[in-house]
Amino acid sequence: MTLEPFTPSRALSLGVELELQLVNTHDYDLAPYAEDMLRMLEKQPLPGSVVPEMTSSMIEISTGICQSAAEVLGELSTIRDAMVRVADKLNIAVVGGGTHPFQQWHERRIYDKPRFKELSERYGYLSKQFTIFGQHVHIGCPDANAALLMLHRMSRYIPHFIALSASSPYVQGQDTQFDSARLNSVFAFPLSGRAPFALDWGDFEIFYGKMTRTGVVKSMKDFYWDIRPKPEYGTIEIRVFDTPLTVERAAALAGYVQSLAAWFLMDQPFMPEEDDYLVYTTNRFQACRFGLDATYVDPGTGQHMPLRDHILLTMHQIQRHAEAQGAANALHLLRDSVSSGENDARWLRNRQRKEQLLAEVTRQAAGRFRSATGPR
Amino acid sequence: MGNLVTIWAEWLRPSAGLVTVQWSLLLAVATIAGYLVQRYIGLPKVVGYSLVGGLAGFAGFTGAVWPLSGTGLFVLELAIAVVLFEAGGRIPLRWFRHNPMVLAQSIAESTLTYVAVNLGLQWLGMPAAVAHPLALVAVAASPAVLMRVAMDVRASGPVTDRAMVLATLSTLYALSLGTVQAELEQRQQLHLLDSLQPVALLVGLSIIVGAALAFSLRLALKVMSPASENTSILLLALIAAATGIASHLGGSAPIAALLGGMLLKQFSPRPWAWPRQMGTAASLLTMMMFVLVSVVAAQVDWTMQVAGLVLALVALRGLAKVIGVALGNIGSGASWRQALWVGCAMSPMSSIALLIASQFALMQGSTGRMIAQTALPAILLMELLGAVIATVALHRAGEASQPWLPQWRGRDNTAALPSEGEERDA
Repeated sequence: MTLEPFTPSRALSLGVELELQLVNTHDYDLAPYAEDMLRMLEKQPLPGSVVPEMTSSMIEISTGICQSAAEVLGELSTIRDAMVRVADKLNIAVVGGGTHPFQQWHERRIYDKPRFKELSERYGYLSKQFTIFGQHVHIGCPDANAALLMLHRMSRYIPHFIALSASSPYVQGQDTQFDSARLNSVFAFPLSGRAPFALDWGDFEIFYGKMTRTGVVKSMKDFYWDIRPKPEYGTIEIRVFDTPLTVERAAALAGYVQSLAAWFLMDQPFMPEEDDYLVYTTNRFQACRFGLDATYVDPGTGQHMPLRDHILLTMHQIQRHAEAQGAANALHLLRDSVSSGENDARWLRNRQRKEQLLAEVTRQAAGRFRSATGPR
Repeated sequence: MGNLVTIWAEWLRPSAGLVTVQWSLLLAVATIAGYLVQRYIGLPKVVGYSLVGGLAGFAGFTGAVWPLSGTGLFVLELAIAVVLFEAGGRIPLRWFRHNPMVLAQSIAESTLTYVAVNLGLQWLGMPAAVAHPLALVAVAASPAVLMRVAMDVRASGPVTDRAMVLATLSTLYALSLGTVQAELEQRQQLHLLDSLQPVALLVGLSIIVGAALAFSLRLALKVMSPASENTSILLLALIAAATGIASHLGGSAPIAALLGGMLLKQFSPRPWAWPRQMGTAASLLTMMMFVLVSVVAAQVDWTMQVAGLVLALVALRGLAKVIGVALGNIGSGASWRQALWVGCAMSPMSSIALLIASQFALMQGSTGRMIAQTALPAILLMELLGAVIATVALHRAGEASQPWLPQWRGRDNTAALPSEGEERDA
C-alpha cells in the first residue's frame, strides 16, 4: 500500500483536537454517554467537528483550520459551551485531564464502530486501557520535506509540551508520581514512540512501503508516534499533550506550537540530527515523571538544565514570532504557569491534598472546564 | 445417661425463637438460589431470592403474615428507606431545570399508568373502590429491583440512569398518593377540606424527618470521608432512626428517606462515593426485603378469575409505562429506542407496591382483601418477570458490561467470563 501524496497546506495554519471525558454527576465515574452527546450536538451548528473515540465515555472535539491561537480558542469555546449545555441536559459533566483519576479500565465499553472493534480485537485489553485523553495539535506545512524537517525539529520540544500540558497524575485511583502517566499507556502500543529519522519525503515513502509490506501497518493511523506527518491534511500532528483542564490552556499550547513553528520556518535556528534522539527518551521520561521540575538535556550541546529554564529560554527566543502570530497572550499565560511551577497535574494534586477524594477532584475539574475564567 | 440429659436440660437457654431460625435458613437458601440463578442462567440474583421466597410462601411458611405489621413491617420499611435514600440521591433537582422534559416524562408515564389500570380494571368489572388503589399500586416501579439488576449486569448509561430516576419519581408519587389515600379512606373523610389536614401532616412530617436526616448527614460529611466504612454505618444507623421516628410520628419513612436523599444531593453536590448499596449489611437488608415480599405475596389465594385480572393489570401497566415514557420522550434527550428500553426497564414491581397495598389492606376491611387478592400476585409476578424484563432491556440497550451468558456455556469463551473475584456486588 503506497503512502498518499502530501497535500501542501498554508504554513503555520493550526488545527486542534481534544479528547474529553464524560462523567456522571452521581459518583463522577466515567459514563457511557458519547452516543447521546453526539446525537444532541448533531443538531447544533458548530465549528470543527465532534466525533466518538475508542470507548463510549470519551468524545473528541476538533477545530477547523485556524490561523491563530485566538481563533482556536474561539472555536473550542463555542464547542465547549455547546457540550456543557448538552451535558446539563443529560445530567452528566464534561471534564478535561489526561486520565480519569479513578476509573477502572475493565469497566469500559468499546464504542460501536468498526475501526474501534477491529483495534479492540488486535490490541486486547490495551484498547480499554487506552481510555486516556490527549490533545493533538496540527501545524500546516508548505510541502512534504518541510513537514519532515518541522517534525524532527519539533521533537526537541516534546518534553516542553509534556510538562506544560501534564494533567494525568492519577491512574486507577492512585497517584502514579508521574505528572503525565497517560503517555505510559501509549508506550504499550507496538508502533508508538518516535518517527524514523528521515528528512526527505522519498525516504519516508520507502520506510512506509517496507512497513506496509510486513503487514504490520495498513495506514498512517496505525503509527502511534509522538509526532507524525498527516499527508492528507498537509500537516504534522503533535500527539504528546495531555488534554488540559481548560480550553484556554489548550489554545495557549497551540499558540506555543505555532510560535515555535514560525521560528523554525523564519529563522532556521538548527538542523535536526539522528543523534538528537539519543537523549529523546530520557528527556521524555523526565518530563512525564517530574513535569516542570524535570531536567532537560539539550540534544545539541549535551548541557543539563532545569526543563523550566529551557522552556523560559525558548519562550524568550520565540517571543517575536509569537507576537507576529498573535500568540503573545498564549505565551504570556504559559510563561506565568512555568514561573510559578503550576501545571494541571499540580492543580489536581493540590485539590486531592485538600479534598482527599478523587471523585470530588473530578467534580471540581468539571467545574473548571465549564467556566471561562481561564487556566490558573 | 439420664444425668447427662439433666445437665444438658439445665444448660438450655431461651433463644431468639424458631422464627429466627426459620428466617435464617430461608435467607441462606435464597442466597444460594440467587447465586446459582446468576451463575448458571445469567439472570439477576433477585430472581433467585424471589423464587425461594415465593415457594416458601406457597408452602405455607408462617414467618411473615399479611397484612404486614410489627418487625416485618419495620424491616420492609427500613430496606425500602435505604434503597430510596440512595435512589433519591441520584436525582439532582437542577437537572429538571436544564431538562424539564424528564419531569414531564415521569408525570406522563405515571399518569397514564394510573388511568390505564384504573379504567381497564373497571372495564373488566372491578369496583372503582378496588381498581383505584390497584392503579396507585401499579404506578410504583421498583428502584430496588432495578438497582440490583443494574449491579448484577454491571449496567451504566442513559437508559439505566433514566429508568432509575423515573422509577424513583413514580415511587414518590405512588407512595405519597397511596399513603394519603389509605389514610383518607380509613377516616372516611372524603371532603376536600377534611382531607387537607392529614395530607399536610403526612407530607410535612416526612419532609421534616427527611430534612433532619439530610442535615445530619451533611454535618457528618463535613468531617467524615464518604468513602469510609464508618460513614456507611453512620448512614445506615441514621436511616434506621429516621424510619422509626417517621413511622412513630405518623409520617412515611420511605418518603422521608427519599426526600432526605434528594435534599442531601441538592445541598451537598459532592460526589456520593460511599460503597454502592452501602456494603454487605445493606445488601443483606435488601435481600431480606425481596424474600419477605415474595413470601407475603405468595400467601394469597390464587384463582383463575384473579389470574385474569392480574394479567390484565400487568399488561396494561407495562403498555402504559412504555407509551408514557415514549410520549414524554420528545425533547428529553433520549432516542426512541432508548425510550422503549427505559419503559421496559421500569416493569419491576416489588416492596413499595407491597407497602402501598399493605396500607390499603390494613385500612379497608373487605375491600382490602379484594385489593390484596389482585395486588399480591401481580407484585410477585412482576418481582420475578420484571427483573427478567429489566435485564433484557439493559442488555438490549447495550448498557450491560456483563455478557449475558450462563457461565457453564461460556467455558470455551474466556473473554466472556468474569475473572476470579470479578463478580462484584458493590
